[in-house]
Amino acid sequence: MADYLANERKLSLKVVYYGPALSGKTTNLMQLHNLLDPQRKGELMVLETRDDRTLFFDLLPIGLRSRSGLDLRLKLYTVPGQVQHDSTRKAVLSRADGVIFIADSQLNQQDNNATAFDNLTDNLQKLGMDIEQLPLVVQFNKRDLPDAIDEATLQARWAATPWAPIALASALHGHGVVESFRQLLARLYPALDREFALAAEHGVDAPAFIRLLGAAHEAPHA
Amino acid sequence: MLNFEEDPHLADLLPSEQRERLCRLLGELGGGAVAVSEQARTDAEPLELNLETLGWLYGDLSPQRRQAAARLLEAILLQVAKYRLAANLHHDTTEASYAELQSRNRALLASRMRYKALAEQLQARVKAQVSLVEQAQRQLYESARLRAVGQLAAGVAHEINNPLGFISSNLRVAADYLNELAAKLRGDPLAGQLLEDFRALLEESLDGSQRIARIVADLKTFANIDQADFVPCDLNALLTSTCHLLRAENPRAHNLQLELGELPRLAGYPAKLSQAFYNVLDNAAKALGENGQIRVSSRNTGEALEICIEDNGCGIADAIKTQVFDPFFTTRDVGAGSGLGLCVARDILAAHQGEILLDSQVGRGTRVTLRFAPH
Repeated sequence: MADYLANERKLSLKVVYYGPALSGKTTNLMQLHNLLDPQRKGELMVLETRDDRTLFFDLLPIGLRSRSGLDLRLKLYTVPGQVQHDSTRKAVLSRADGVIFIADSQLNQQDNNATAFDNLTDNLQKLGMDIEQLPLVVQFNKRDLPDAIDEATLQARWAATPWAPIALASALHGHGVVESFRQLLARLYPALDREFALAAEHGVDAPAFIRLLGAAHEAPHA
Repeated sequence: MLNFEEDPHLADLLPSEQRERLCRLLGELGGGAVAVSEQARTDAEPLELNLETLGWLYGDLSPQRRQAAARLLEAILLQVAKYRLAANLHHDTTEASYAELQSRNRALLASRMRYKALAEQLQARVKAQVSLVEQAQRQLYESARLRAVGQLAAGVAHEINNPLGFISSNLRVAADYLNELAAKLRGDPLAGQLLEDFRALLEESLDGSQRIARIVADLKTFANIDQADFVPCDLNALLTSTCHLLRAENPRAHNLQLELGELPRLAGYPAKLSQAFYNVLDNAAKALGENGQIRVSSRNTGEALEICIEDNGCGIADAIKTQVFDPFFTTRDVGAGSGLGLCVARDILAAHQGEILLDSQVGRGTRVTLRFAPH
């Protein structure tokens, strides 16, 4: 839920990377930290535990300042994917303005994807949010693996949902990460503009919003 | 509730004691004095954490060293913030889990209470059903017994009535013959004496056969097997015939007084009413000692028809008064009493919208009142 402090002209937003365990949520965030060149970028906070599994969350704060003086912050969180950390997942998801769901493209992971997506729907409902209304991007990660389901099948499967077309990525190699994020920024903007008049009062229209927050370094990635 | 992700202030992350210690160490490293302020200063290096300026580092260091000191402090702050964020999140989730556990506990408690109430209800219903079954069993037992006794009595009565008829009639004819013999033998004093004796014998026999006829008639009334339905009953007549039977059966009951008032007829089962009277009378007779007396009275109080059966027998001890109506409770030897007498009497009274009242004193006697509401 966007949080606006009028006296500081500070608007805080929250985007959560959700998805099954080991689908690449933290990898997405790490690559964003490397590749993204927004107007303002903070330190990446990684709170992983043994075996590099996320226990609490990871956090990457980015932001922009408009000429009008609006101080817009966007905090990117990941949730722990493991089933047993559901209460942590729910706490991190609370008050989210947008969600990027990271699914695993491997054929044998489709059950886990479905379970995690159900869990997302469930937790949103418990937190009083409607998944149909929430800006949401579905990213199928690990496109580089040999047993990844082919793109046409995936797009066809998701075509009838409000989240089509789905994003594809190979986060480990930095492919598709920034594109997925930009897709979310595009889906996030209309609601923000409606509530806070970003274009009219602060001179931040949709292309500027995406450019200022979703810019990438010039150098090609690995 | 404070959200775990609220941006912290410098004081939240570094208490003043630690802040002073860090500044002193940084000063020693940089070779000058170092201080941190939460107010913006022009000659200071801002301390940033997650895009938020937490404070300003200043002091008499070269700009380059001041920057290095600020970055070092930022690195420390990042680690502290990391821990703080994780701790706050942990706190939030623990509280949420605890609240959820509590609400689940409340729900469980409520459902446990529901089940408890249900179990109690079930138990009460089972108890009620059991007592219903017991009562039905008792009635079945008694009505089967009654029917058997009634059939036997009716059969015996029928079988006795025939020979009794010709015995009575023969005795009367014999008396006539005796008169004729007397006429023929007039003048013989010895024969006259014999005939006199003979006449007395015949009269006694006739008297005896009349008594048998009465008993047979009473038996038929008592058994009443032909009348299974509610019919208007003459309580006094039922009482009288039951007393006759009791006298015939129990020699101690010969001293029995009947004081019957006028009663309206009462709709009921005559055989069952007789059975109730008999059960109470039988108890009274069995309680009697030497010189025992039974007084049976009936009256119409206007509000109820009352039948009172009093004896001056041994009485009932207080300790067992509450038990005498329980099924299978008896003070008599095994085989001598079924323990159903008063219990069945009470059931029969209840079936006639009546009640049975007990008043007894040990050594003085017992009074049983059978009260019927008139229709």
